[in-house]
Amino acid sequence: MKRMVIRQLIEKIEGEAELDYTFSEGRIEDVKINFGFYRGIEEILEGKDPKDALVITPRVCGICNHAHLIAAVRAIEDGYENAGVKIGLTQKAKNIREFTLACELLQNHIKWFYMTLLPNLEKYLKIVSEENHAMKATYFSTTITKALAIFSGQWPHSSYAIPGGVTCDPTQLDVMQAQSLLEECVRFFEQVVTACSLEKYLAIDSVSQLHKIEGDFGRLLHLLGSNGMAEMGQSYDRFIVFSDSFLSKAGKSIVTSVSKVDTRYVHESAQKGSVAKAVSYKNRLYETGPLARGMVSKEPIVKSLHKRYKDSLMTRVFARVHEVALLLEESRKLLKEIRVDEPSCTLEAELKLYEFEGTGTVEAARGSLIHKTTVNNGVIVKYDIITPTQWNLSHGNEKEKGIAVKAMVGSQSIEEADFIFRTFDVCSVCTAQ
Amino acid sequence: MSIDKQESVKKLFTAQSAKVETNKGDAYYNELYDRCRARLDELKKLKPLNNRMDFMQSIEEEGLERRDFLKWASATTAMLMLPASFTPLVAEAAVMMNRLPVIWIELQDCAGNSEALLRSDGPKIDDIILDIISLEFHETLMAPSGHQAEKQLEDAVEHFKGKYLLFVEGSIPQGIDGHFGTIGAKAETFIDHTLRLAKDAAAVVAVGSCATFGGIPAAAPNPTDAVGVMDVVKGKPIINIPACPANPSNMVGVLLHYVLTGSIPELDSLLRPKFAFGYRIHDNCERRAHFDAGEYVEEWGDEGAKNNFCLYKVGCKGPMTFNNCSIIRYNEAVNWPIGVGRGCIGCSEPDFWDKYAYERPMANANIKAPTGGVEKTVDEFGLGLLTAAGIGIAIHAAASAVAGKKSEEV
Ligand code: SF4
Ligand code: SF4
Repeated sequence: MKRMVIRQLIEKIEGEAELDYTFSEGRIEDVKINFGFYRGIEEILEGKDPKDALVITPRVCGICNHAHLIAAVRAIEDGYENAGVKIGLTQKAKNIREFTLACELLQNHIKWFYMTLLPNLEKYLKIVSEENHAMKATYFSTTITKALAIFSGQWPHSSYAIPGGVTCDPTQLDVMQAQSLLEECVRFFEQVVTACSLEKYLAIDSVSQLHKIEGDFGRLLHLLGSNGMAEMGQSYDRFIVFSDSFLSKAGKSIVTSVSKVDTRYVHESAQKGSVAKAVSYKNRLYETGPLARGMVSKEPIVKSLHKRYKDSLMTRVFARVHEVALLLEESRKLLKEIRVDEPSCTLEAELKLYEFEGTGTVEAARGSLIHKTTVNNGVIVKYDIITPTQWNLSHGNEKEKGIAVKAMVGSQSIEEADFIFRTFDVCSVCTAQ
Repeated sequence: MSIDKQESVKKLFTAQSAKVETNKGDAYYNELYDRCRARLDELKKLKPLNNRMDFMQSIEEEGLERRDFLKWASATTAMLMLPASFTPLVAEAAVMMNRLPVIWIELQDCAGNSEALLRSDGPKIDDIILDIISLEFHETLMAPSGHQAEKQLEDAVEHFKGKYLLFVEGSIPQGIDGHFGTIGAKAETFIDHTLRLAKDAAAVVAVGSCATFGGIPAAAPNPTDAVGVMDVVKGKPIINIPACPANPSNMVGVLLHYVLTGSIPELDSLLRPKFAFGYRIHDNCERRAHFDAGEYVEEWGDEGAKNNFCLYKVGCKGPMTFNNCSIIRYNEAVNWPIGVGRGCIGCSEPDFWDKYAYERPMANANIKAPTGGVEKTVDEFGLGLLTAAGIGIAIHAAASAVAGKKSEEV
């Protein structure tokens, strides 16, 4: 059979993407992922005050704006430290930042699960469901972003983190309000997502116990398993994480061996015919995101699934929803430990450094986000934003196809490939900036 | 909580100090009332465009009572600057919101306004309204995708010719002949796409700072030559709802006004609805008492910050930013930036980045004060622009002098 290229527009992600599928012998041989737009955020940052990045970079993306804020503030703090200024964040500031970040991840994962994944799976399997998925997604995300806004002022696009801490100064009442909103989300997770208590859910640590999960998540796992989809969508089995957080330590995992990473070996390169840059680590491609975090931190249940299904869409999807439970549990701790009488910010506003170079990393919903800022004469001379989706969605290089491309190759239909593509939680606005 | 909020919204909008040339006289309102009545009667004859949930049913499912709904209606009537006698009409219009076809497109954006819409930051009833409007096309929210979605868009344009409201999110890049932004299998540029869809729209609503004035993409050096909708679309009514993100309450306000009257709300010279952008942040700011008393946050984390003092000296642009977020707030009225000690960045003003920029204290911002020229000091600027608050500034100047501090911004 002759080669054939079919172009398909993908929406219902953040922004749009176009996929050119090349078929050969009835199977997908290659996929070209194109993003149709460019804003030039990095160019806009040049020549500006380093702190302007705290307000500009969240506008890269309406969904992971908070991760951009944290990466930007960490890049400045790292730069200050490199220049010999001690930062010394209080535990309070750290907890508040981690909590708001966790909220952003939570809303993303649930929204992806209900608005992208389930409906697409139903479409692929031709199931007509009566469920109002969007309503569930909205309920959960509205609730958790309210908790986020208590500390950050608004979501999306808050800028409450500043070098040395945060600007908010919550009262105990604010913390309690956040706790009650969080508990509402835990309740939703227990009753609707898994139909089992958070405690019981977190005790599940092997594939043989997966049947304990019911609710919408249980249904999804069942659908994937009973339709022979569990092993679809495998890629290179290579994972990378750049930021230390409660979700994972920094590191890379190749098949199962984990080793250290250093952002200095991250390399960005232009791609022909696309505004989105590709990115590699020591010339190799890696997958980033919840599955990478689970693999690098050796999360028992993720490892157990990986043993059975490798880096298939089953393991990938599972790792993302599983993170919801981890985030809920950790958020409880973070809020409980906030000491409102500690200072919110420890650095003086007057402090202005004229030369520095800093790198900030953060675990965003879709994986590691890296900001690098170089400041000369008090202004940014170079700013690099390396987004998670650049790792997962690049075309690859001469030697290797990109991570998501590799996962789609071999599919027998566009519908199949399209579903695999969406398991990566695609975001075009970040990729293209 | 959202319901009690309604009371305060109503109070603020009907307060004497907050009025923006409201009373247009009985004759005007009588005529408008009759016009609205006739329009609603016409709409009532039409079938709802979608079979999504029924409005009153949704209200019930949310655990709200008819009384709550009427409270909302009276607050919204006040917000739209209509006399209280319009309340029943506003309530009726809300219920008939699903008779209005809406097409929503995303251009050079970050999807933040869609996010805001999705999260429906407005009080509960605003959520429900946004849920039941007949969104004929929205990339993220609609069911179909791919070619099916493209077809749905074409069908909607054809079927609702001249009737639909076109919502645009994101700026429009003009550089390299518009090729910084393309859409669909034919790679139509954002400019062509917008012009084509605007042609048959009843009106175009630009949502968010990008779509209205270019937003962040248009910040210097504006690499893609990004502009707002009003710089490209001509010969159509355009309504700008700036801010980053735009407040869903204001989107609902515009929709409601359109359903109710069949016309767009009264706009300011920047095409922003006056009901939402007729006030400055500063006019209703919760820290205003501290401004007037000359109590300022001098640096992050200081005693002033702990006491929620005014953020003017750490760069707040509230005094020259027209927007209602000090009243409506964000995320179901939970909070807003000033509530967490981060000043206003002026995101609902044109060229907000280049002129306002958060980190730049007021004196260094490139904003022309009404007196002409860029003012140099906090006190001069304050006196030039904020006559009503002059006393506070004077107190502040005196206090600064006593403390031996320069009253100039550094
Ligand atoms: S106006 Fe703000 S929220 Fe909207 S697209 Fe632009 S940057 Fe994003
Ligand atoms: S300057 Fe800003 S913080 Fe101060 S009263 Fe005005 S709007 Fe509020």
